[in-house]
Amino acid sequence: MNPHRQKKLSIILFVAAGLSVTVGLILYAMSQNINLFYTPTQVAQGEVRAGQRIRIGGMVKEGSVVSANDSLQVRFETTDYVHAVPIEYEGILPDLFREGQGIVAEGSVDSSGVFHASRVLAKHDENYMSQEVKVALDAAGVNTDNHPSSLILPES
Amino acid sequence: MWLWFSKLGSPKWFYELSGRWLPWLVIPMALLLVVGIVWALLFVPPDYQQGETIRIMYIHVPFASISLAFFPLMAVAGTITLVWKMKLADMVAKVAAPLGAWFTALALMSGSIWGSDIWGTWWIWDGRLTSMLLQFFLLIGVISLRSALEDSDAAAKACAVLSIVGCINVFVIKYSVEWWNTLHQPASSFSLSDEAPNPPEVWVPLVIMIIAIYLFFAVSLILSTRNEILERERRAQWVQDLVEAQ
Repeated sequence: MNPHRQKKLSIILFVAAGLSVTVGLILYAMSQNINLFYTPTQVAQGEVRAGQRIRIGGMVKEGSVVSANDSLQVRFETTDYVHAVPIEYEGILPDLFREGQGIVAEGSVDSSGVFHASRVLAKHDENYMSQEVKVALDAAGVNTDNHPSSLILPES
Repeated sequence: MWLWFSKLGSPKWFYELSGRWLPWLVIPMALLLVVGIVWALLFVPPDYQQGETIRIMYIHVPFASISLAFFPLMAVAGTITLVWKMKLADMVAKVAAPLGAWFTALALMSGSIWGSDIWGTWWIWDGRLTSMLLQFFLLIGVISLRSALEDSDAAAKACAVLSIVGCINVFVIKYSVEWWNTLHQPASSFSLSDEAPNPPEVWVPLVIMIIAIYLFFAVSLILSTRNEILERERRAQWVQDLVEAQ
């Protein structure tokens, strides 16, 4: 390769490397803003102000769902298995909503620590299988709980 | 190797060679597309939690995964244009941008349909969806930049630089689901066992569809490049001869 081309190529590589580092640092600095949701632990520890509009992501706690008979009002708790936050919501839930399912809710926490959601979305994990396989795995005692990894705090 | 490299850069040579390659790409593509679509739509078992909606994955994943190839492709072609001034590289870069925009749009749209049914929303500003939308706008930007500059040499250089910069976004798309928490799920890992999450009955048709769509990408890219070659080399003797032979 002649020196002129070699110089051009190294300038391109140098600029590309420099830009990548810059973008990487910017994204790292902004990571709290880029994260889609707060975890129940972050909310329970008071990282968000009352009334601030946020998203919260966690699992629907087993045995916590209470729905009203005469309206679409529903109350449940969302948990990362360290802290649980009670959520109140009135509206249509996604089909996937059930106990033990990952959800992301939009709304705000009131001063008593209850989260009032204006929208509830389902978050599923990256494991796909047929009903037959699921039944066989459950019978064999294999844990196939639909636990998106980002909803559970890493075990310490 | 350098001889081969400069030979590949000759539009005439590429035109002749790609003409001979095409059937070997089109035939497997057609076969795999038919097998993959029939398998995915009729024979894949419904998912235990998503039911029939899981079939959207067999369109969404192939398009989404191949759309990540466009910026690296355009960046390599752009670097060759900037350093070696090879005409063919710029032709490939030029036709790749609109193709990439289509593939990215298809990934976004199929994902929206999937999300509206399963998540409960067709759009959310999470890391994965936003960075993918950014890629769509970057591709629109590359297309606009090329048509905005009159001087085709200057346009080629400007697009090459933008493509190299846009490449960074590919890493952001790829790792967005791991760096930040998102609504979008991370990539699945395939299992060889029949009795495990993501068993072969789920991923074998997916792999067939992925190969089919990759071949579709290669065929589209080669066909549009051949078109671009004829357009730009229309005054060359070999193109004139080709037209007369028709």
